[in-house]
Amino acid sequence: MQNNECIYVSEQFTEYQDNSLSSEIRARVDTHLAVCSLCRNTYQELNDLLNRLHDLPAVGAKADFTENLLSRIEALNQESTWQKIYRSSYTRVAGYAVAAGFVFALGLNIWIDPISSVSPIGSQRIAGEGQVQKTSTDSPLASQVDSVEYSKSDSITFQRNTINSGTQSLQLVSDR
Amino acid sequence: MNEIVRKTDEQLIAEFQGGDELAFVELVDRYKDRLINFVYRFLNDMTDAEDLVQETFLKVYKKKHAYREIAKFSTWIYTIAGNLARSELRKRKRRKTYTMSSLSFEDNEFTPVDPDMDTEGVVFNSYAGEEIMKAIKQLPEPFKTIIILRDIQELSYEDISTILDIPMGTVKSRVNRARLKLQETLSYLRE
Ligand SMILES: [Zn+2]
Repeated sequence: MQNNECIYVSEQFTEYQDNSLSSEIRARVDTHLAVCSLCRNTYQELNDLLNRLHDLPAVGAKADFTENLLSRIEALNQESTWQKIYRSSYTRVAGYAVAAGFVFALGLNIWIDPISSVSPIGSQRIAGEGQVQKTSTDSPLASQVDSVEYSKSDSITFQRNTINSGTQSLQLVSDR
Repeated sequence: MNEIVRKTDEQLIAEFQGGDELAFVELVDRYKDRLINFVYRFLNDMTDAEDLVQETFLKVYKKKHAYREIAKFSTWIYTIAGNLARSELRKRKRRKTYTMSSLSFEDNEFTPVDPDMDTEGVVFNSYAGEEIMKAIKQLPEPFKTIIILRDIQELSYEDISTILDIPMGTVKSRVNRARLKLQETLSYLRE
């Protein structure tokens, strides 16, 4: 029959296996496993499970993966060259230059922006984990991903993002 | 051994930021298999996994300057790939194409990492792995993620803590709970 000690011991299994428990808690787990066949079985099954997870067949990239990627990048680079030419033809016309630049910067932001939906994988918290969670769900890493290369003409936005990413970097350092 | 092999990932991304495209290709070679293996465990579909990892590298290419040296390159790229995988899962759920029938992944193509790997062995292993993949798929998302990162990708607690942006203590307790849950799901599937 499962009792409170069973629950306590089962919470220690991962660290027991990692050999990272204090000697006191380790002894407590040992003692319990010696007398409780239920927990002994669970622990044995967990070990088997881990072996099976480690033995899962690895999958990998197809032979033409890198080649396909590089041709996508090449297409991307050609695209941006044409965009540059398109933009420079407008800059000759002073009256349209500001408007065109604005529209382009806006378009570029939207085009570049898909990554701003990046949020930490673990932002979904689990109830009852008993940890004091940070209120912010912004991952410092994800924020780094967010601070994308804005058009240099858009200097205000560019500077603001530089400052933001600086703050995020500080957070990352001070958190760890 | 040529010189590039000895470079760290962080050196390579720095060189790429400085304009060396070969450094990028080296990073692709280092990470493509790991990332496909990682993403495949979320999506259970090789074609989708390849597409998503291509997307990941395209983002790295386009936003190379978003990487800062304060983080490990590996945790940065895992964060990007993991987030893409997660949003793909959400999209699938919305489209409701993520039906129970896709639990079976017999139709999917396996590309063994080792080309010399015994073909019969692969078939046997993938069959044995099917049950466990089914069980992983049924886990709630945070448990699924942590099992993939820790027990399949075998990343350190520290790296996982950075990738998920949760404290190390939470990583450990979540690993423990996820394994117990997975075990429970497996025995339920067997009944
Ligand atoms: Zn017990």
